[in-house]
Amino acid sequence: MTKRGVVTIGMILVGAVLMVWSYFVGAAPWCATGVECSNPRVEWAPALFVLGVVVAFSSALYYSIAKDK
Amino acid sequence: MTHYAMAIDLDRCQGCRACVEACKIENNTPSAVFWMYVFRLEEGTYPDTSISFLPRPCQHCHNPPCVKVCPTGARFHRDDGIVLTDFDRCIGCRYCEVACPYGVNFFNWRKPEQAFADYQLAMDDPDLAAVTGGLIPPYRNPDLDELQGDEQRRTAGSAHYKGVVEKCTFCVQRVEKGLDPACVVTCPVEALVFGDLEDPNSPVSTYLRGRDQFKLLEELGTDPSVIYVGGTPPTPDAREIERPMTGVGNANA
Amino acid sequence: MPTRDMRQPLPMGVGSLTRGWAAVLALGVVGTVVGIVGYAVERTQGMVATGMRDLGTMQGATWGIYIALVVYFVGVSFAGITVAALIRLFRLDKLRGVARMAEVLTVVALILGALAIIVDLGQPVRGVINLFRYARPQSPFFGTFSLVISGYLFASLVYLYLTARRDAAVLARRPSRLQGFFRLWAAGYEDTPEQRARDRRVTFWLALAILPLLVIAHSSLGFVFGLQVGRPGWFGTLQAPAFVVLAGVSGVGHIIVLAAIVRKALGLGKRIGRDAFGWLGLFLLGLLATYLYFVVVEVLTIIYQPGVIEQRLSEALLSGTYAWLFWGSVATLVVPFLILAWMALTRTWRVGWLVTSGILVNLGAIGKRYLIVVPSQTHGQLLPYGIGSYTPSLVELAVTVGLFSLGAVLITLFMKVFPIVDLETEASTELEEVSA
Repeated sequence: MTKRGVVTIGMILVGAVLMVWSYFVGAAPWCATGVECSNPRVEWAPALFVLGVVVAFSSALYYSIAKDK
Repeated sequence: MTHYAMAIDLDRCQGCRACVEACKIENNTPSAVFWMYVFRLEEGTYPDTSISFLPRPCQHCHNPPCVKVCPTGARFHRDDGIVLTDFDRCIGCRYCEVACPYGVNFFNWRKPEQAFADYQLAMDDPDLAAVTGGLIPPYRNPDLDELQGDEQRRTAGSAHYKGVVEKCTFCVQRVEKGLDPACVVTCPVEALVFGDLEDPNSPVSTYLRGRDQFKLLEELGTDPSVIYVGGTPPTPDAREIERPMTGVGNANA
Repeated sequence: MPTRDMRQPLPMGVGSLTRGWAAVLALGVVGTVVGIVGYAVERTQGMVATGMRDLGTMQGATWGIYIALVVYFVGVSFAGITVAALIRLFRLDKLRGVARMAEVLTVVALILGALAIIVDLGQPVRGVINLFRYARPQSPFFGTFSLVISGYLFASLVYLYLTARRDAAVLARRPSRLQGFFRLWAAGYEDTPEQRARDRRVTFWLALAILPLLVIAHSSLGFVFGLQVGRPGWFGTLQAPAFVVLAGVSGVGHIIVLAAIVRKALGLGKRIGRDAFGWLGLFLLGLLATYLYFVVVEVLTIIYQPGVIEQRLSEALLSGTYAWLFWGSVATLVVPFLILAWMALTRTWRVGWLVTSGILVNLGAIGKRYLIVVPSQTHGQLLPYGIGSYTPSLVELAVTVGLFSLGAVLITLFMKVFPIVDLETEASTELEEVSA
């Protein structure tokens, strides 16, 4: 596996993990009774979700642009 | 665990709207905004008609659709059953308003300075000053700016800024002090009763004991905390025969 | 060494400002300014400047034309990725000529969709910040906003960028005012077979990854409405699928119109040929047929044995206050269906009729979106509030004009800084000259 492939897959995985974590863990829990349902477990979790999206799709940019050494 | 609830006796309610007034004064709601509202309904066709009054505060549902759809968590459900809006976090998307089956939400369409224009007293009016001698300033409840409850969020009162949604709070600023909501206290015939449903000796539990009860739109599964006695739910045939002023639409828009 | 005269114009009209182009741009800028003025009024006066009012006691509608536009613009963004998917996944090379403009349309439509949400917020600045800080997944709005706007938009931008790198590299070889910009875009692109293979692979997988985003995006918009049990007319299982299909209808319709305009303006009769239009027409026909089927199912369901409130609502839609808009929208969807069916059966695709169809289906889509948003609030109250009403105010109309104009401005500007159509054929000859 080339360096290009490794980094690309790595970026996709990092992005995916960020997205899944932000959606299911970091952001507010999926409930409606109780004050904790209105606050994210980690503030700015949605911003991290967006970051995950950016990282995951930037892998395509890396894959295409990175130069062979 | 406390579960605040309100019992409303439709047999006693005679449609005086003192509760509507009291709510306005306590919570500083702008014109055409009715956190507490009383329907006057007619059912049947003339001459076989019947009139009834239906007070409608926020139902403070236990399965609240408004809480589920709020994108920022500004609308939340407290452990004691009261559903509140943190107006510092509200972004004014009005999703809670369209999601609520009961239509209890109100959006601040105008800036606070202009939202009361329809009924604010002009204290510098010479005729008015002659009568009051300048002694009665426009009153605004200072509790409305305080952080409320264990969660310490600003949830009390209305018209703090334009662009946010608000609704009946069961007078959270009063409940925190151990008082009943303004509408309950003001009702001249004690048609409204407030208290902790989990406490068998509370006013609301004793009031409801052994009586036929119903809740509005129960079939939607919202599990409201407002329980009606002394009457029946409005039929689909019921229509309002006294409409509130549409206010904002006609006034300064 | 290619001997290109420095004064030869860049391809696809890039960099050469014509009178026609300037006129369109001027009109677009005027429209955008109108929108900005309208929004300024809304910001200073408060949202009382719109025609929206609280539902229930105030007998208004609290979601109006802005929300209809949000759904519409996000729907139009269906276009880009559909064409991209058709080209990459199904090897429909005939559509290459419209690929880039479809991708640009997607990006612009998503930007307009985001702006339409922001103009509808009572606290817009707080809105943008709080959505990134506190957004709750349980709210379909969260699903819409963060997944759609961020994921879809970024993915479409990446797709647009990568598929255009080759053209940027070609243009970067020529001295011109935009040369630095093209070099930046090309980011050291070398037209080797490995690079081309890499690009084919990456755009294939990107198109494949964006497809689920497309379905999630439009479905979650449908869920914003479909999950509300307290709103007769909204609550239902058909909303999510219907949103996806109508998105396709409006998106493909838009591409047809845009392609025809670009084709005329740049004289690309061969490049964007009849068969490209034919494919787009067939695709539009299929989507339109599906959507009309949904409309029939919807109407039959609400008239067969409606509940009392649904009856009130269906009467308002079919014969009452909203009847003109309902039947008008249906007409603007049925007429193109007939036109497209005729052209498909006779296998003669006329660009003029396709453009007419494209415009009509978009008008129909806007009408249908409006009909989804407003009637349930005015005529569908479960408690015995009176019947409401809503009319968009001048401010809302101004902002609407502004949004569409901004879209036109963005596309018009893009056309002058980058080729709106792939340089495929020219590029291969040029690069062969270089490597010779």
